[in-house]
Amino acid sequence: MTAHLFNIAQHGLRRLKQEFRFKLNGWTVGAVMVGLFLFLPMAEVLWHLTSPAENWEHLRDTVLGRYLKGSIILVLGTAALSLFLGVSTAWLVACCEFPGRKFFEWVLVLPLAIPTYIAAYAYFDLLDRLTPLLIWVRTNVNPAAMTWLSDTMIYPVTIVVLSAVLYPYVYLVARAAFTRQNSQCIEAARTLGHGPQSTFWRVALPLARPAIVGGVALVIMETLNDYGAVKHFNVHTFTTGIFRTWLSMGDLQGALRLAACLMALILFLMVLEKWLRFGAKFHKNSQADRPFQRYSLGQAKAGLAIICCLLPLVIGFVLPLSRLAYWASLNAGRMLDSSFLKLTFNSVAVATAAGLATVGLALFLAYTARYFGSRTVGVTNRLAILGYAVPGAVIAMGILLVAGQVTQATGWVLTGSLTALVLAYIVRFLAVAWQPIDSGMERNCAQLNNASRSLGATASRSLFDVNVPLLRSSLVAAGLFVFVDTMKELPLTLILRPANFETLSTKTYDLVYQSQIPESSVPALCIILVSLLPVIWLNRQMRAPEK
Amino acid sequence: MKSFLKSSFALGLLAGVSVSAAELNVYSHRHYDSDAILFKQFTKETGIKVNVVKASADQLIQRLISEGKNSPADVLLTVDAGRLHRAKAAGVLQPVKSKTLAKNVPASMRDPEGHWYGMTVRSRVIVYSKDRVKPSELSTYEALAKPEWKGRVVARSSSNIYNQSLLASIIAANGSEKALAWAKAVRRNMARSPRGSDRDQARAVAAGLADVAIMNTYYLGILANSSVAADREVAAKVGVFFPNQDDRGSHINVSGGGVTASAKNKKEAIRFLEFLTNAKSQETFGNVNYEYPVIIGNNKSDLLKGWGSFKADDVNLSILGAKNAEAVKLFDRAGWE
Repeated sequence: MTAHLFNIAQHGLRRLKQEFRFKLNGWTVGAVMVGLFLFLPMAEVLWHLTSPAENWEHLRDTVLGRYLKGSIILVLGTAALSLFLGVSTAWLVACCEFPGRKFFEWVLVLPLAIPTYIAAYAYFDLLDRLTPLLIWVRTNVNPAAMTWLSDTMIYPVTIVVLSAVLYPYVYLVARAAFTRQNSQCIEAARTLGHGPQSTFWRVALPLARPAIVGGVALVIMETLNDYGAVKHFNVHTFTTGIFRTWLSMGDLQGALRLAACLMALILFLMVLEKWLRFGAKFHKNSQADRPFQRYSLGQAKAGLAIICCLLPLVIGFVLPLSRLAYWASLNAGRMLDSSFLKLTFNSVAVATAAGLATVGLALFLAYTARYFGSRTVGVTNRLAILGYAVPGAVIAMGILLVAGQVTQATGWVLTGSLTALVLAYIVRFLAVAWQPIDSGMERNCAQLNNASRSLGATASRSLFDVNVPLLRSSLVAAGLFVFVDTMKELPLTLILRPANFETLSTKTYDLVYQSQIPESSVPALCIILVSLLPVIWLNRQMRAPEK
Repeated sequence: MKSFLKSSFALGLLAGVSVSAAELNVYSHRHYDSDAILFKQFTKETGIKVNVVKASADQLIQRLISEGKNSPADVLLTVDAGRLHRAKAAGVLQPVKSKTLAKNVPASMRDPEGHWYGMTVRSRVIVYSKDRVKPSELSTYEALAKPEWKGRVVARSSSNIYNQSLLASIIAANGSEKALAWAKAVRRNMARSPRGSDRDQARAVAAGLADVAIMNTYYLGILANSSVAADREVAAKVGVFFPNQDDRGSHINVSGGGVTASAKNKKEAIRFLEFLTNAKSQETFGNVNYEYPVIIGNNKSDLLKGWGSFKADDVNLSILGAKNAEAVKLFDRAGWE
């Protein structure tokens, strides 16, 4: 036992020495510092996992169960429904032939452009529509049955609304997996006499599993992140609990501890995801995409397939978008004035700044870790990208804490400046930029970097002359994603923005807060329209055979 | 990238400290049209530009704490004495004295030391279905706990400060144990789990989901004057009942403001509060947002007069603030979400 421990310690020491001897330079030190700095707000929150909070026992005994229950029901329901919608539609458009298949192939991704809170606002009266049913139950069955029904139906309603806009995460990866990776396997299965059903269950699905698990993980994180929709439909989750503890009880410590619990839960899920993938990677090798003989469906089955594809599309995109467009057409005249132009400008300006800064930092961090092969930078990078897994409101709390300490130490007020806001976006969305850049580097640059290093080129030359040109499309994608995510972002912007600073998302929230939901459709629609561009781009990118 | 960071840095600095003499920086929780009208009016009369950050009160208080003495904010405006009390306890407000404020705002509607001053009054009442409930069946908040109201009551979440202050006033009047029993019983009597806004409670009663709702009066004013026909119908179907008229009076609360501890423009800040509490502004709050003036007897709005005059609970509002935390905990224990 001790010998074993000794071995581990020795091994660790050797690694450390190696890191210090060969990999200590301006790049790695800079990357470690940047990574740790970006992790700071999260560290502040995690610090509170064990720190004493006066109301913790009270919270644990009274409301923690409620938040757990709400979060778990929502996560399980949304994950299951998104899995079903995403995988079934992906299988249909990838492996079956029916009228309209090509059309569905690209429109099924569109709901991704609608943020969950805007979807909830578009369906704000969904529960009210069920009022006649409730009144019928109240008068014809009994009031208790109505109470039960009214308290239970909020779950399916919220799950349907969330899944309708989140399923494309699963759809995209499953479709890519079905078309790109499995064509030979599926053909092999067919040759061996397997029908479509058994091919799906026994070959295609197991092969696509790692990719699908990744997609579902994104759905789960978005679900746990959501504040607007769950608040609107009155489901009690960790996020609403954090807000309640912070805002209603005025107990920042208790709220931070709840947030720390949520972060711990998310970390656990991330480990679980890694484990579920069994180390299998998302992008497997892919030979040139061979033409693939799709199953052609008979008339009845083709009809079913069309309905199956229409359903999520209508619920997740057509209906919310047309409702918003209708309300917007009624209110556009009143809403579209110079102040609206200003909010649009503000949104675009901060989103551009956040996009550029985040891509720059992500490139620097990913490159340093890969070029120097530094494990330390690898670890600090992993810490820095955690912000994407943490609800915006939690990061906002962390940033307020950091900003408070900076103010105390230097007298410099960070909050209310655009600097702090853009920094907050970087913390929140670094992963969004890091992911495509890092995987692009792995695919395209690893060997070239080795070559340029052995030829004695400097690190910066290798970065700008080799990596950046090769990664152009990954860099654009990364920038676009951060841009759109920033446009949609709400909680961070609400708390940290400067005076008189309104964006499209804060204006949407503001109008909804004043129960002016029809008016809120104008800024909401703008957010969706801007978000559509990168979604369409992403869709083409994921469909195109890899170079 | 670096030069970009630098420039965004510089931009941020500019935005962070752009304070000149003829400006006033206001952190406000209030999202009402009346406020925008009055801020404009203030600028017109005094030449002082009003910059506003709108967010929820506790986030603003947190931000004030974080910014410390360097905060650009001069005034904090919020709804509910509970919040004002919390701001005072957090040390982000400073005591100010002004003869005009003392004249404009009655003693029970302001902090004894001058940390905050009430601006408008709202009453939390029982709203009932005119079809299914006779006003004679109603009496007090306490009576809503009786079994005959099983499945007939609606109210919003206890995360809402208005409910917290109502329970704080019941704690102040009846003690903690009775307050807890009341919250438990009312929760049991609810037709559905607490949800939505005060307006949604009125809608539920008008639609027939429940028979009575606990809500603030001015929301009915907003519904009655809505541009949406369905909202006006809702307002027509329900009546306002002021409870506890034979004992302590109906629960009232204020929205108000104070000068921040960090205020660089203290003089202008006081002038701003004086402006908001002067007779003309008070009338605007009544006409545009259907809130009572801080001297309830001065009410000029016909709509508010239509609900009748009432006896208000005269418990000092700072007591409600002091009991706020206990009220939230009692709600948790009562299972009132």
